[in-house]
Amino acid sequence: MMVRILGGAWSATSRYRLVLLLVVAMFAAFAITQPEFATATNLKNLLADSSILWIVGMGMTFVLLTGGFDLSVGATSALTGIFVAKVLATGMPGGVALLLAVLFGALIGGLLNGFAVGRLGLSVFVVTLATMTALTGIVNLWAGTDSFLVTAPIVSQLGVDELLGLPTPIWVMAAVFVVALYVQSRTYFGRDVFAIGGSATAARLAGIRVPRTLMLVYAFVGACAALAGVIAVGRVGAATPTVDATLALQAIAAVLLGGTALTGGAGGVTGTAFGVLFIGILQNGLGLAGVSSDWQNVVTGVILVLAVMGDRLRFGGSLRSMLPGRRSLTGPAELS
Amino acid sequence: MTPLLTLRGVHKRFGGVHALDGAELTISEPGVVHVLIGQNGSGKSTMLGVLSGQLRVDAGELRLDGQPVRFTSPVAALRHGIAMVSQETAVAPDLTVAENVLLGRGLVRRWSGLSPAATRKRAQEVLARLELDYDPRQLVRDLRPDQRQMVEIARALSTDARILILDEPTSSLTDDEVEGLFGAIRQLKTQGVATVFVSHRLPELFAIGDEVTVLRDGRTVAQAPLAHFDPHSLVEAMVGEIAAREPRQPRGSRPSSRSGRDDAPPALRVRGLEVVGAVRGVDVEVGRGEIVGISGLVGAGRSELLEAIFGVRPLAAGTVELDGAAFAPSAPRDSIQRGLGFLPPDRKTEGLVLGMSVRGNVTMVQTLERARLRSPSSGAETRSAQAACDAMGVKTASLDAPVGSLSGGNQQKVALAKWLARGPRVLLLDEPTRGVDVAAKAEIHEQLRAVAADGVGLLVSSSENEELIELCDRILVMFRGRVVAALETENCSEPELVRLAGGHT
Repeated sequence: MMVRILGGAWSATSRYRLVLLLVVAMFAAFAITQPEFATATNLKNLLADSSILWIVGMGMTFVLLTGGFDLSVGATSALTGIFVAKVLATGMPGGVALLLAVLFGALIGGLLNGFAVGRLGLSVFVVTLATMTALTGIVNLWAGTDSFLVTAPIVSQLGVDELLGLPTPIWVMAAVFVVALYVQSRTYFGRDVFAIGGSATAARLAGIRVPRTLMLVYAFVGACAALAGVIAVGRVGAATPTVDATLALQAIAAVLLGGTALTGGAGGVTGTAFGVLFIGILQNGLGLAGVSSDWQNVVTGVILVLAVMGDRLRFGGSLRSMLPGRRSLTGPAELS
Repeated sequence: MTPLLTLRGVHKRFGGVHALDGAELTISEPGVVHVLIGQNGSGKSTMLGVLSGQLRVDAGELRLDGQPVRFTSPVAALRHGIAMVSQETAVAPDLTVAENVLLGRGLVRRWSGLSPAATRKRAQEVLARLELDYDPRQLVRDLRPDQRQMVEIARALSTDARILILDEPTSSLTDDEVEGLFGAIRQLKTQGVATVFVSHRLPELFAIGDEVTVLRDGRTVAQAPLAHFDPHSLVEAMVGEIAAREPRQPRGSRPSSRSGRDDAPPALRVRGLEVVGAVRGVDVEVGRGEIVGISGLVGAGRSELLEAIFGVRPLAAGTVELDGAAFAPSAPRDSIQRGLGFLPPDRKTEGLVLGMSVRGNVTMVQTLERARLRSPSSGAETRSAQAACDAMGVKTASLDAPVGSLSGGNQQKVALAKWLARGPRVLLLDEPTRGVDVAAKAEIHEQLRAVAADGVGLLVSSSENEELIELCDRILVMFRGRVVAALETENCSEPELVRLAGGHT
């Protein structure tokens, strides 16, 4: 019985097995070679440092599952930071400000990206690039070059304080993961997301509300980016008018590392969690070892290609079938 | 005299399917118009693929001017003077006419790069061979579809082709445009360019053709000058004598059907339906428990008709009623909620989500109205998915297996089960058994009859007349967007359908 359950769990990891094994291997390697690595303090830091990417990655997973992606999360995140600083400056209670901030992100995602992609059917790349560009401009127009020192307790509670012995960002990560996992695998909405990514035409012909679902998915990633933005303010102690343009690409990389297909319809948030851990452990461990953090990017890039290639191998059968060849000439053409 | 081109004993298999099984073809001399015909699945496309170098044969011999040749690629075929214009136009819309005509090889190069003036001049020479006076500087985007096709033909000619293959060139042309095309073909004839012409429209074949090759089940069943045939004997050669002489036994009398319910409104009534460029004023009625078929060539407007009723394609005019209640098709979701179902022709991209489980696919339509944040109840869902799969005879290891892992026949059954799980009043089916093996086909027909016996009205579009005769109570024949005939299945035969679908009355 135990064997069967474990076997089932093992086979469920097939889409992100490479990254899962690497996470375990790296963890072991760093634990052996770097005495500071496997300490409670360091591991807490590692996780808390990964919280931004983790939370954005959860939302990004849904977008990739529908066959899209969102380049504007970094800008949304920064803009929300300014937004929450301004709102808190009016004396708004912390909880309300947090709620407003998340809603703000959801509206940006749903009404800009979601509407343009879902309802108008515009290209995901163009739409989210445009949103990113415009929001980056707005961040600077709104905040100038000043950072806002934010002293309201809510941000430090969310960003650095500990709750039951763990930093709050870790609790937030867990909560977002549980919600995302539930929506993904236990609701009709989650099924709609997979159906749209598998074939938007088939989903539409089956009566699924494709535009609405897409708007909600982009709203979700917007909300995640906003939440990440507030946490970022908390961790720095200030809202800075700088947009992390690489956040979106890092999040997409983490999702792809986690085995979600760029074309949509397959994958999930569990894989993304390992994708984020991979990046986090690599960064942290190399830092302890005194290796330049640039190596983290090099390694991530290489593993990303390997992960996607592994995905192709699983479907294509052999490496040979991936190479461009004369397939088209001998393939089973339409018979009539 | 040595024939221009001969193909002998050609065999080509795709997996288990013997697409060509010893077929042959002879083009007698330069300048001849050679007609290639056969029903769907007879091996026509494979034959064209072999001729144009796109496919390599398993066995067989190709001789050009009596010399054996072997094409390893379309480029090799071009070098031997054989060029093909395929059914889908493959022009670059944002390049000029001249650039399109000379695309690939003929663009004129100078030390300074491409020379537009010289390119235009050369393109004009080619166009002149077809007696066309298009402005070579015009963008292809601004041309009509028939003009784009001419550009493609010109491109084929620019390679100094001796044999020009035209795969159903008239399927999307109007009568006037067809005349224009034929003018060009006659022009080429005088220049000694032979044409291989594929079309299902019999009047056209007899208007332009000199000689004919008839394929059936991958074999050549007739090759002769076209003058040896009349429309009737040609169709007979296509469908086979037995099929032609003995009308297929129509499906047995069913207990349900229209009898005794004449006062009730039909399940589906369509009046004067028009779709821009595809359907021109079509009336259809489908009674409860009735199976109505739509026959017609590709491009006759069958698919567009079904899509318009289901709300996927805008209606230009016309009314639709379901059980007597007026209904304005707008979107699939709304149509589904009013009791319509639609099985699209391509199950892999439209009918199913291949990566999703059988369970997810089967329950997709049934659970449309559930609150999206609710959890599917696994017990109830398993029961209803299992029931629908059992009713359709789906063979799957598990309800959680991805649909893509099933065989084609089982996939198609899942695509149907998805609708049965919801229980529509009218089911629209486009090519319900395309790409499905014979056994699965018979099972699907069986299930569809059972569905009709439960009082569901079925409107079935198919390019296989055999299927329509076997399945349907009545058959409508469409030609160029109109219903040109309505037949009771008992008194109709395959040759008759082929003739009607080809525009012969």
